[in-house]
Amino acid sequence: MREYKIVVLGSGGVGKSALTVQFVQGIFVEKYDPTIEDSYRKQVEVDGQQCMLEILDTAGTEQFTAMRDLYMKNGQGFVLVYSITAQSTFNDLQDLREQILRVKDKDDVPMVLVGNKCDLEAERVVGKQQGSNLANHFNCAFMETSAKAKVNVNDVFYDLVRQINKKSPKEDKKPQKKPIKCIFM
Amino acid sequence: MFQQPTWRLWGEERVDGAIYTVYLKKVRYHRPTRSASSESDDEISHLEWETVRVRFVKAGTVERLVEALATDDGELESTYVNVFLATYRSFAECSRVLDLLVRRYEALAAEDTLPAHAPAAPGADHSHQHRKTLVACLHVWLDTYPEDFRQPPHHPALQQLLAFTQLHLPGSELHLKVLQKLAVFSAERNGGAHVGGGVCLAPGMRLSAHHTSTYRLPHVPHRHFAEQLTRMDMELFKKLVPHQCLGAIWSRRDKDRSHDAATVLATVNQFNAVSFRVISTILVEPNLRPADRAEILAAWFDIARELRVLKNFSSLKAIISGLQSNAVYRLRKTWALLPKEKSELFEELARIFSEDNNRWAQRELLMREGTAKFADTVGENDRQLQKLLHERGSPGVSHGTIPYLGTFLTDLTMIDTAIPDTVADGLINFDKRRKEFEVLAQIKLLQGAANAYHLPSDAMFDRWFDSVIILDDREAYQLSCQIEPPTNPPKERRPRKIVDNNNQCHRKNDSIASTSSSNSSQFYCETDGAANAWKRDSLERRTSPTRLSHGSSSSSLPSLDVSLSSANSGQKPPNGKAPATSPAYANTRNGPDFYIIRVTYESDCVETEGVVLYKSIMLSNNEHTPQVIRNAMLKLNLDGDPDAYTLAQVLPDREMVLPANANVYYAVNTAYNLNFILRPRKSQQAEPVANGKPKNKRN
Repeated sequence: MREYKIVVLGSGGVGKSALTVQFVQGIFVEKYDPTIEDSYRKQVEVDGQQCMLEILDTAGTEQFTAMRDLYMKNGQGFVLVYSITAQSTFNDLQDLREQILRVKDKDDVPMVLVGNKCDLEAERVVGKQQGSNLANHFNCAFMETSAKAKVNVNDVFYDLVRQINKKSPKEDKKPQKKPIKCIFM
Repeated sequence: MFQQPTWRLWGEERVDGAIYTVYLKKVRYHRPTRSASSESDDEISHLEWETVRVRFVKAGTVERLVEALATDDGELESTYVNVFLATYRSFAECSRVLDLLVRRYEALAAEDTLPAHAPAAPGADHSHQHRKTLVACLHVWLDTYPEDFRQPPHHPALQQLLAFTQLHLPGSELHLKVLQKLAVFSAERNGGAHVGGGVCLAPGMRLSAHHTSTYRLPHVPHRHFAEQLTRMDMELFKKLVPHQCLGAIWSRRDKDRSHDAATVLATVNQFNAVSFRVISTILVEPNLRPADRAEILAAWFDIARELRVLKNFSSLKAIISGLQSNAVYRLRKTWALLPKEKSELFEELARIFSEDNNRWAQRELLMREGTAKFADTVGENDRQLQKLLHERGSPGVSHGTIPYLGTFLTDLTMIDTAIPDTVADGLINFDKRRKEFEVLAQIKLLQGAANAYHLPSDAMFDRWFDSVIILDDREAYQLSCQIEPPTNPPKERRPRKIVDNNNQCHRKNDSIASTSSSNSSQFYCETDGAANAWKRDSLERRTSPTRLSHGSSSSSLPSLDVSLSSANSGQKPPNGKAPATSPAYANTRNGPDFYIIRVTYESDCVETEGVVLYKSIMLSNNEHTPQVIRNAMLKLNLDGDPDAYTLAQVLPDREMVLPANANVYYAVNTAYNLNFILRPRKSQQAEPVANGKPKNKRN
């Protein structure tokens, strides 16, 4: 089964973690354990093909700026999240995207721009048009989601899988990283 | 003796305002010792086991949760008290909880004095015990979380507690404790000694700006560096307030992190500061020979290795992150020069922090070594680390542990997201708090272990640490590309972006709710009309909240603006003009040629109070004195005519004043550090005005 490494990026408080939890768990679970790997993995079927998605959620570590490069180096696809209720979170994405392109040393990287919290229409400050303009400029897909109301959450990740498939139809063979082994005693 | 109890979930029990989870616990019947009660009837009872019903609060109203601090029998429920006090801030204010505790005490006391109660009635005993438990809770609270009661200027919660103890418990231990805390807090206010979330200059910054530090990578004592980094981390880690890591406090946008999570922020900033130093020391001299640069890389490996031995996973990860940052990692030619065992060492250290399997490797390692005395865990493939631990044997001294905090922060953020705050009927979900406490308890445990470190401080190290120039990631990339040009040049990417960027910028300015206004002092315009997207980029960067918050807590750090407008003229200095031993000798390659220089502002009348700030600016090979002065003035926030200032390089034995129209790039003495002083020209009438700093004005 092909594995996909997906990185969720965006400023603190935009609901990145909610997107991940909603996608992976589907429902709020009582016995949630963030320390196990299953909290960040999900097997899905996209276009008739089984895929294993591994999500790297940067939630809580946004301010460790020095670590972003590493997240980016390891990711194959990127979810760039802002909150439609906070303009600054939208403004931050330009820099993040540039950094991704620099790290990847490519002009085009699988990416989805996500305006989250679309259930909070009354607090909206970033217009839908603004989002879609930025997506045009990024040359990437755009969706408005609500992790809370379960709107478009799966679509974000499916779209990313399709983009990755299109960019590199087969398994990513580039030896960009050495195989990582677990430490055993 | 009790055998390991066997637990069985029995079900839920609902009462008004609370839901309990009920377990049945099977315990071995405790046999009284023979000597204690010989021949008693119990002795012949053949009861081996009994089943006890145990209730845990699953959810409840604040009132019910406060009540649950004591059991039904009025005993102290110590685990519950710990969880409650560590996490209550996410569902109630300090004053509310205090209020409920006090009222509960008063209700019990009132019950006690009712005439209906006979003096020896069992109810009175019970009430007495219950009140004792509440007082014990208050003790634990005051001892463990004194910060909760720090509410300057009047400390109302403490005042309330004082009034309570005066009335009900005069002269008691609690009363004295409250008085003492109040005295301490008040003294702090008067002395102004409290250092909270405010900005304070790092110790090293208070020294002369043109101090030349004696540490210079790669020739530094690795072990000593690792110890000093650990000392810095340890001080911050011990001060860390665990509940500030909670998702509801650290990760919510509407919270003011610099205040509500100051101790977490300080730790994160230190982590970044270490990474930045790695990146900077490797890149800042673009003209080093690759072999020399590889030596600096290797020096960081060796420092990282020592950090592993010291079990300082924070700085260890910070160094690994710095080495893996794009600007450093892409220098293939440099990395290729490293000997095989050095590369192996790096890979083994990097493997510790692999993101694979939800960071299994580092979680496992922390579990094993967190409270162990010294490092002893290596993987079977870790040849270099095996060798290291073998050489060291088991050290005589034991070490503490400093964890990488990010893993805990992510875990707590995910818990906060995944588990709802309330359950049916709006009751507070206390099970969520228990889950959070599991993480907080780990942090506390490690904080206790950190006391095992005994590391002397070295002021010279602090000075070195503060003297390193900080590059943002764009600047770092820029320098990196100068060292090793990209193999596939970025084609059309850059120009296209510049155009887009401008559009983007205009649009942003039109949009509402910009958060950047508070930061307007960082804005400036290129006066000579050479403004370009690079400048704009760097200007935009500074307005993003992430940068902002970083900047606010480290405003004393030097920053660097890369201005390509003046750096891409393509002129080259003649070969061999600068001595090869200089810290920055002339570049003979294509591309922008520049030095990074530091400029301090000095005038007779500036009241500096011993604080000297310097700014780093880029000096390209076609810049003449007036331009350099202009650049320095921009960075130092000075208005006025550049001719009103002079610029001088600080040399060990004297100062070299630069001629009025020199090519500064050629004129400077590169055999020494490039430290400069900008000062108002004597006998000049024009009045320099420093923006926003009225005390810089002439008297």
